[in-house]
Amino acid sequence: MVDLAKHEQDLRKGVLVLAVLSQLREEQYGYSLRQALVERGMPIEEGTLYPLLRRLEAQGLLASQWRAENGPPRRYYSLSASGAELYRELSASWGSLAHVMSQLLNGEKQ
Amino acid sequence: MKPDALIQAYVAEVVRHLPRKQRADVGFELHSLLTEELRGRAGDSEPDTEATLELLASFGRPAEVADRYRPTGFTIIRPADAPRFAWVSLVGVGVQWVITLIATYTAPATGAGDDWLSRLGTWWLSAGLGAFWWPGLLVSLSIVAAVIAARRGADAPEWTPRAAAMLDRDSIRRPLYVLAIAGALVGIAALVAAINLARWWPGLPQPLLDAFVIDEDFLATRAPWALVLWAASLASMIAVLVAGRWTRTTRLLGIVGDVLWVVLLTWWVAAGPIFVQPYADSVTKGCLLLVAGLCVLDLVITARHVRQGIPEPAV
Repeated sequence: MVDLAKHEQDLRKGVLVLAVLSQLREEQYGYSLRQALVERGMPIEEGTLYPLLRRLEAQGLLASQWRAENGPPRRYYSLSASGAELYRELSASWGSLAHVMSQLLNGEKQ
Repeated sequence: MKPDALIQAYVAEVVRHLPRKQRADVGFELHSLLTEELRGRAGDSEPDTEATLELLASFGRPAEVADRYRPTGFTIIRPADAPRFAWVSLVGVGVQWVITLIATYTAPATGAGDDWLSRLGTWWLSAGLGAFWWPGLLVSLSIVAAVIAARRGADAPEWTPRAAAMLDRDSIRRPLYVLAIAGALVGIAALVAAINLARWWPGLPQPLLDAFVIDEDFLATRAPWALVLWAASLASMIAVLVAGRWTRTTRLLGIVGDVLWVVLLTWWVAAGPIFVQPYADSVTKGCLLLVAGLCVLDLVITARHVRQGIPEPAV
């Protein structure tokens, strides 16, 4: 039996970083970022998303700081200069890839 | 257990696997995020233990979560090498066990109470457990290699067409091969000189000359066959040198040569003395058995190389 969930998960993994970078053009903390992604139809497991933020920060793609606003201290993340640059490049790649995939899938249907 | 205590215990378990300097920062953030997740899931109601456990279960095993926080680390044993590593480790331990068990049970009895069980116990606490030095050594060497590879990082040699050409194991480097042929000739000359030591250098110390007195019967019956095999081996080496690469024919000739050398050396060792002096004779025979072992090794490697190839699929 085909494991659809696993294949779909693999498909999403490929765009995970781009999805996260897209939402961090504005400052977010972990939970709010996850909610924003869920609202836009891109649910990412907490156990995947939160460590990913730290790894992207360690790579210099994100900047972060602790802030307390109307509640407990939270760590807010946003794109760094190199993160913004990567986001622009990946967006262009994604546009090209989506176009190619669309052609491939439509061709298959014909 | 209360939800917050559960989350605290979970976070403590996650950060335990992280570098010490990250623990407080990641731990505080993770605790805060999990608490918020839990509240989000509970909605207007108060979070309970069951909901907390469900959240923690979906978050993942603490060690796996900690892995996700770490950047891709260096690999000690690459997946591609893992089966061979396991094979070499287990065979190494197995060979040691076989050898030491044979030695344990063939040793003469030492007196009352020296039964098979006590011997097994003594063996296990000495050579049996001791054999695990081998996988330990392999892991240690792999760690050193992984650290060196990680430090080299970007300085690692590039994968280039020239590097790809090195995969052709049939091609030879002519200068090195010439050196190998020269080395073989020097070795033969040294052996012939050793046999004729007393005739060519009579002034050498008597004990040295005595040590190299060769058995007449060996010289007359067994030794001449070596000349035939040396000549055949040299002819094969020169053929490889001229062609610039090994061919299937020269590989097969190499296998035949190895078999003949093993047979000849075994005959030399088994059929009687080689040197008159017992000490020189036993040392020489030990060396010859070692050479025979190397021939067997070469034979196995060459046979594997000849056999390797991608078979056509059954259609």
